Amino acid sequence: MRYLSLYQEGNSLLHKIDPITKLLFVIIAILVPIIINTLTMALAFFIISTLLVFVARAFKRTLPIISFSSLVIITVLFIQGLFYLKNQTPFFTLGPFVFYKEGLLYATGIAIRIFNIINAVAVLIFTTKPSDLIEALVKKGVSPKIGYVFSSVLQIIPQMMSIVDTILDAQKARGLETEGSFTKRAKAFIPLIGPAVLNSLISTKERAMALEVRGFNSKKKKTFLNEVPYNKYSNVLQVALIAILVFSIIWRIISW
Amino acid sequence: MNNKKSMWSFRFSTAQLVLIPAAVGINYVGKLFAGILKLPLWLDSIGTVLASMLAGPIIGALSGATNNIIYGLTADPISLVYALTSIAIGLTAGILAYKGWFDNWIKAFVSGLIIALVATLVSTPLNIQFWGGQTGNIWGDSVFAFLMAKKFPIFLASFADEIIVDLPDKVITVLISFAIFKSLPKQLISIYTDDHKIEKL
Repeated sequence: MRYLSLYQEGNSLLHKIDPITKLLFVIIAILVPIIINTLTMALAFFIISTLLVFVARAFKRTLPIISFSSLVIITVLFIQGLFYLKNQTPFFTLGPFVFYKEGLLYATGIAIRIFNIINAVAVLIFTTKPSDLIEALVKKGVSPKIGYVFSSVLQIIPQMMSIVDTILDAQKARGLETEGSFTKRAKAFIPLIGPAVLNSLISTKERAMALEVRGFNSKKKKTFLNEVPYNKYSNVLQVALIAILVFSIIWRIISW
Repeated sequence: MNNKKSMWSFRFSTAQLVLIPAAVGINYVGKLFAGILKLPLWLDSIGTVLASMLAGPIIGALSGATNNIIYGLTADPISLVYALTSIAIGLTAGILAYKGWFDNWIKAFVSGLIIALVATLVSTPLNIQFWGGQTGNIWGDSVFAFLMAKKFPIFLASFADEIIVDLPDKVITVLISFAIFKSLPKQLISIYTDDHKIEKL
């Protein structure tokens, strides 16, 4: 069965670290630069997460995600460079446009923060099997039902993708026009989404029955299929990561 | 839709839980068809709104959150932070549905406006924090640049940027969801409501 995932087999150091530690790292890499809102902090986390991307040997695969956001970052550089409210010091001129130092610096900060988030998440998704992450979360006390919901989404989306092609072909065969003027294309939307919705809702009915028959609502304690031994340092790492978060919150409160 | 049980119940039936992945799938398909038809809208929250209409605000919010978490972990990491917006859309749509604001087309249109406004109010601070106020949409960002050049406060400029994109998108999303909801067989709708009423002879 196809399973939506960006995971790639590998034996880097990061592949061996347990999923929870990596998830904690993502949360901290997003939260700490917001809690301590300085450029230095953003830069520090950007450097760490970029290094980790290289350690995970995932740089090539992160590149498409980075370039996707880079387009927006370029417009941010333009708009803030030209119009940032605190703009004072002209930096350079490009034809009739004057770019200011303050705006460019601000936009650079935004770029660093965005790329930091992308890299941090990339470390997690390229080195962790989604099913391992979900299982680890359930072991930590997340409801198995929520765990089921997540792994089910990862299976349903590839299924839906193939349904899309089927519906598209079927409706075209009936004479539905999917190209041409805007009104024609807009009118085609309902005949396309309608069958997709009905199809997926009807299959939820069957899935619900199938689950109930297999004891989905059973109150018995669930057991796990895999007992994955992880690096014994993972507890130390997790404590250290949580300490960083707590420390940054305290820092923020003190320096207010 | 008008079952008078509490809408805030956290005890879900299996059908309601299974609706969450289906809603996320519908969101994906909506986005995919909008792309195939080259429509200038996202249309990527039809599933969330439908889930709210069918099973209430909590399931709607969970669908929204799951949607962005999965999308964030498989395509665009930044969409993780916009999970907050999706949660707000699910909650608002669910509350409106419960209060009977999806009974006819006019009410559904007003609901669309309300959902668009809520989505914008939640997204704007996120846009400011993460993107300096921009949305990444050409039309919205042009307005943003124009208002920034006129020295408007950043919140207003960013709000305008977001609402220009969100208003048409969310109103049309809600109307499409309403159209689909109306055409669903009653028998199918009843499996998601909480009251477990068995058909009377």
